[in-house]
Amino acid sequence: MNRYFYIDTEGKQKGTFSPEELRQEPVKRDTLVWTQGMEQWKRAEEVAELSLLFDPTSSMQAPTMAAPQTSAAPTPQAQQMMPKSWMVESILVTILPFMLCSSFFSLLGIIAIVYAAQVESFFNRGDYAAAVEASHAAGKWTRIAMWIAIGWVLLIIIAIILMFVFVGSMAGLGELLNT
Amino acid sequence: MVTALLLLLPVVLFLYYSFDPATDPFFPICPFRAVTGLECPGCGSQRAIHSLLHLHPGDALAYNALMVLALPYILLGFWLEWLGGGKRYPRLQRFLFGRWSALVVLLLVLSFWIGRNVF
Repeated sequence: MNRYFYIDTEGKQKGTFSPEELRQEPVKRDTLVWTQGMEQWKRAEEVAELSLLFDPTSSMQAPTMAAPQTSAAPTPQAQQMMPKSWMVESILVTILPFMLCSSFFSLLGIIAIVYAAQVESFFNRGDYAAAVEASHAAGKWTRIAMWIAIGWVLLIIIAIILMFVFVGSMAGLGELLNT
Repeated sequence: MVTALLLLLPVVLFLYYSFDPATDPFFPICPFRAVTGLECPGCGSQRAIHSLLHLHPGDALAYNALMVLALPYILLGFWLEWLGGGKRYPRLQRFLFGRWSALVVLLLVLSFWIGRNVF
């Protein structure tokens, strides 16, 4: 993809921009543009690669051209909202295993807490992408820890039920033998 | 995940109400204690839950004071995260479940762990 210069309304040369970036610039059909390989400045509408700039339906036909628009749009509003930090869940997931005598699962919760803390600090630093990444990681570890804890509780319940079935059947067997 | 927890909760509470972990053998034993002979921060919490369900808060505190004190914190966390409390009181959530409070919780657990084995 070529990078273009253009001449703005005040006659100043601006550049360089990729065709996508030119969408954000005040480039009209008669704006003069130039890129490597061109002998002279041309009107923007005469350059094949830039024709998409002026085609109103291009955003639907050309996903590559539409992509920067859609990706550019969410960032300003997203910057105000912190991604889900998972702090509450990860703290709970760290404390709860202690109650169920499975303290080693708390290590997973601590990993989740570390990521959850990163969400906040990355966000405060303005690094939104890193905050989102940390949020995903915190969510992943919280879910892993939570499901393991749920599985552990189920295992205990099943063990207790089996125990009762076993004790019950032994008692029944004893009665059978006595009669 | 939350629904699975809510489904499990009554079963667990029933088990801990009807059977006494102090005398009945089939409750899980702390692996840390089994290996080292020392108590982990959670040891005693099953007996504490049993005592609490039978309204003996004094016994519960003696079994595991930290976990009894952590219960309100855990319930508060549930309320803040899943029952909309965090949206109404975002400052409370940030104060109790922020970065520093996580550190404080971990330090509390650690000091309780060391303390109960030393004293």
